[in-house]
Amino acid sequence: MANIAAKRIKREFKEVMNSEEVAGGYIKLALVNDSWTELQGTIVGPPDTPYEGGTFQLEIKVPETYPFNPPKIRFVTKIWHPNVSSVTGAICLDILKDQWAAALTLRTVLLSIQALLSAAEAGDPQDAVVAKQYRESQQLFLLTARHWTNVYAGGPSAIWEFDQKVQRLLDMGIDEHEARVALSHYDWELERATEQLFS
Amino acid sequence: MGFEIKRFQGDVDEELICPICSGVLEDPLQAPACEHAFCRACINEWISRQPTCPVDRQAVTASQLRPVPRILRNLLSRLCTSCDNAPHGCNAVLKLDSLASHLVECEFNPKRPMPCEAGCGLVIPKDELAEHNCVRELRALITSQQGKLTDFQQELAEQRLIINEHKRELALLKEFMRAMRISNPTMRALADQMEREEVIRWANSLTRARVTRWGGMISTPDDVLQVMMIKRSLSESGCPPHIIDDLMENCHERRWPPGLSSLETRQNNRRLYEKYVCKRVPGKQAVLVLQCDNTHVDEHMMVEPGLVMIFAHGIE
Ligand SMILES: [Zn+2]
Ligand SMILES: [Zn+2]
Ligand SMILES: [Zn+2]
Ligand SMILES: [Zn+2]
Repeated sequence: MANIAAKRIKREFKEVMNSEEVAGGYIKLALVNDSWTELQGTIVGPPDTPYEGGTFQLEIKVPETYPFNPPKIRFVTKIWHPNVSSVTGAICLDILKDQWAAALTLRTVLLSIQALLSAAEAGDPQDAVVAKQYRESQQLFLLTARHWTNVYAGGPSAIWEFDQKVQRLLDMGIDEHEARVALSHYDWELERATEQLFS
Repeated sequence: MGFEIKRFQGDVDEELICPICSGVLEDPLQAPACEHAFCRACINEWISRQPTCPVDRQAVTASQLRPVPRILRNLLSRLCTSCDNAPHGCNAVLKLDSLASHLVECEFNPKRPMPCEAGCGLVIPKDELAEHNCVRELRALITSQQGKLTDFQQELAEQRLIINEHKRELALLKEFMRAMRISNPTMRALADQMEREEVIRWANSLTRARVTRWGGMISTPDDVLQVMMIKRSLSESGCPPHIIDDLMENCHERRWPPGLSSLETRQNNRRLYEKYVCKRVPGKQAVLVLQCDNTHVDEHMMVEPGLVMIFAHGIE
């Protein structure tokens, strides 16, 4: 790994570890290997959002050319959010792309991702299905996001009705995650989801 | 790229840290409006990708970057750092502005060039001295030089081949020219010109000769022995073929100009000899007095295309 990238990451790692956010338990950072090329980030879902109470894992890959190019970051924990792919976890965030600046750090990036959970950018979606729901049926979106947070990120609030519908599809022999994706995509209409799954 | 922060004694002010490499600023430059400072190498690298300030993303181009204020430079130069070679045992603690001059002479630099003391004459980086083996190194040197020699020899052979090729072509061309000359006056003038130039080129390639004893001149040389030897030597020195026979004729006093044609006239004109520009006939006790070298000499002392004078001795 290029000397400058390793040097920066070491320093940033220390910066995150000494930060208030880590002390307050809002973000975390851990090493994945000795070469400082890959790290694991953790953010806590912000209060007053459907992600509240959830803990989200992020995969952070540091390119050889860091900090001249941004780190590559994606959600490992599945999440229902207009700016995150519900399939791959890819994040649509300007500072991870053309708005990257060399003085940004892992700490500022993690906090920006956390802020994205509080304020989605529906105009610049990463997941078109989620974005459509976000625009057209806010209530359903909030419930779906909370449900995903409960199931995948350890969030506190279970949505009994959604759990029931997933269970129905499970009973038909459908994989659990596949069932949840189909239902989420079809605004929890069991019939349309079933139709799509068996077509 | 900036200096590793751990190398400095005490805390380093955040102002002196490069936001790009997170090291202590090295040769810093600042953005014009926001005055954010970066190492020169770091900010140039960033701007080559994106013309903005890496901290606040204001538009900045490379030409807008400025040196940082003197106060910042003073703060930097006063920082105390360890030597680059600290891991190799250098304990020096230096002000940042004297680090560069220290590094040039730091004895702990593992790459410092050292002459081998065992006598092979090679200069080797200090850290390779322990592993150094004169015989092995010299052997490697010989092998590499033999390789080069083989390459050169091969190239030489190829060049020789090419030269022979060219010679043949040249001979054909000359043949062609001669044929042309006979039929065309312009060509004749051109060919004469080329021949004259060829003679001058050859004359310039010969070394000057000094005659110490004009008395040693042989005015009636032996045709077979002396004249043939001289002819071969001239030919080898690159004498243009169209004058070689004329020159050989001019070895003998019977073809010499009026001022030289008899013992008597020679005695009278002796003092004029010193005016001659003479050239060596390589390897022989003989000189060439070419007309093209001696346009300043009286007419009665010169003939076309020049004289050949053979001596018993006294040529330097
Ligand atoms: Zn720097
Ligand atoms: Zn700036
Ligand atoms: Zn030193
Ligand atoms: Zn030696």
